[in-house]
Amino acid sequence: MRFAAILDGTLGAAPQQASALAGFLREGLSGDLAGETLVFYQHDSDKQRLVELAPTHDVRLIKTTARRPERMVEILATVARDEETSLFLFAGGPGGTELATRLACRAHGSVLTDALSVAARPDRLVCRRNVYSNHLVGRFELTARPWCVTIDASWNDTRGPADLEHEILSDSDETGGSGATPLEDVELVDLPSSGDLAESRFLVVGGLGAGNRQGVERIAAAARRMGAAFGVSRPVAMNAWAPMDRLIGVSGTRAAPELCIVVGASGAPALYWGIEKAAFIVAVDLDEQAPIVGNADAAVIDDGVAVIEELAQIVAAEREHG
Amino acid sequence: MSSLRILVSFKVTPDFEALREADWLAGAEADAAEGAAHSVETRYVRRVLNCFDESALEMALRLSEARAERGSATSLGALSVGGGETEPYLKTLLALGYERAARVEPEAALDFAPAVTAALIAGYVRRVDHSDLLLLGCRSGPGDSGTVPFLVAEALGWPCLTQVIEVEPLADDRVRVACLVDDGLLRVTLRLPCVLAVGNAVVSQLRVPTLTDRLARKNERIAVLSGADLGVDIAAEMRREPSVLTGLEAIDRARPGIIIGGATPREKAQVLFEEHLKTMIETL
Repeated sequence: MRFAAILDGTLGAAPQQASALAGFLREGLSGDLAGETLVFYQHDSDKQRLVELAPTHDVRLIKTTARRPERMVEILATVARDEETSLFLFAGGPGGTELATRLACRAHGSVLTDALSVAARPDRLVCRRNVYSNHLVGRFELTARPWCVTIDASWNDTRGPADLEHEILSDSDETGGSGATPLEDVELVDLPSSGDLAESRFLVVGGLGAGNRQGVERIAAAARRMGAAFGVSRPVAMNAWAPMDRLIGVSGTRAAPELCIVVGASGAPALYWGIEKAAFIVAVDLDEQAPIVGNADAAVIDDGVAVIEELAQIVAAEREHG
Repeated sequence: MSSLRILVSFKVTPDFEALREADWLAGAEADAAEGAAHSVETRYVRRVLNCFDESALEMALRLSEARAERGSATSLGALSVGGGETEPYLKTLLALGYERAARVEPEAALDFAPAVTAALIAGYVRRVDHSDLLLLGCRSGPGDSGTVPFLVAEALGWPCLTQVIEVEPLADDRVRVACLVDDGLLRVTLRLPCVLAVGNAVVSQLRVPTLTDRLARKNERIAVLSGADLGVDIAAEMRREPSVLTGLEAIDRARPGIIIGGATPREKAQVLFEEHLKTMIETL
């Protein structure tokens, strides 16, 4: 059975996509499968770098235009038909979701997004993914081929590309193609960096228990005083008590700090997903029954803002007097 | 284009955060014991608007207001694939200025059947509403697949952007859209018709109608349609659904949860620091 991993090298996110796919191929995928990487590229000067990122030995290069998903889907549908590829694997994120879903429609296959694991059987694909807002894992079976699957963003934890030799099987120019792009006046804007959250070793996360914007700002100030990065739960960002780039969890940043202190957040799974890799979690919450208490290593049952400010003072004094 | 027809499709879901840990475990255990997929018991928890759909509903109102300032007319419609639990929301939307309100009776459990849901939405757009722009949330529980917007777009042959956070009207049949993509924030102009799937937009809360507005529209009818009305045989589509949920598993997130002693926030912070954090923080 054949699979193809899709690397969209027309986008700046290709290195992260490549390492996520490499991690998934090593640990998330099982079954009697042999595969290759289809690398989409826009500029000839990118080719060598992209080939080195590919998570499989065999590589097919396809020259195309950036931000033309409809064209990429046409090309992939041709591959599905001609090469008898059973499984197409895409990195997680909006781009992968669009390609996988549209390809499944055009090629009369089936789609599954955000896979935690995939096991290929002769007649079906067995996949696991989070459901019920990350409260449970669901097992799914896909029958109609090709199986078009995006991998869960937790695979982005994988560091570095696969260490492989590569062989370029083909290099085709598909920059022509039919139809005009529906997108005009395209402008890519860099987002405010949330890299400090993803890379942080010490992270403080504020939740709605802060009470109001001032409460959130006091937690942020305490975090700064301790030298910790500061993030928030989705409800805090949605109330505009903190900027959206501070969001921790499924729709924001996933962090893996040594120490994470969660202040006034109940610990809904969508938030917890963003901190579950933390080595040590402290919960500070008024409610002893909040899920975060049982999902933390240690918990303080009290007003979150008061406790974190006291802690910041203690840490500062300790550092001063050493 | 004289009057732009905008349709917002939304879903009413159980408030998953209101379920107890035991309910989730029971759902997964019942499932494992019986060897088939049973959904978790959610009937007793309150219903909420899917958060991304709520953003879409408010964004459509703002888009309509922005067009009115330019002298352009807009006609708003709201659709939900769901039972009677959606009707209070549809009535609220009528009071807020939505002109059309409809629901499609699902006839089967569609929570894990995105292809069927998408066929119903596309059928409504094509056969009933003749919309120029479809707005909906980028994903919705319990399935959370994020595929419905693209499945609808495929059925209609329309372009689709997901993770949309801003929409502004432009002249003629175009909108200016900001959306999060894999490599940053994209601002693009898109010609209608199109599907826009709303993500983490700053516009996140639906406004509340006045009592006067509610009373003024209280006798307006909510259209209730069946799959057959939209050319969709729901039972047959369910059998064809190519992705089938076959089981549920609990997730073990338990950690020790040691409760820190002390009488005041100061004392508790001191104990936490001395017993757990002191050595750790020195290395950070």
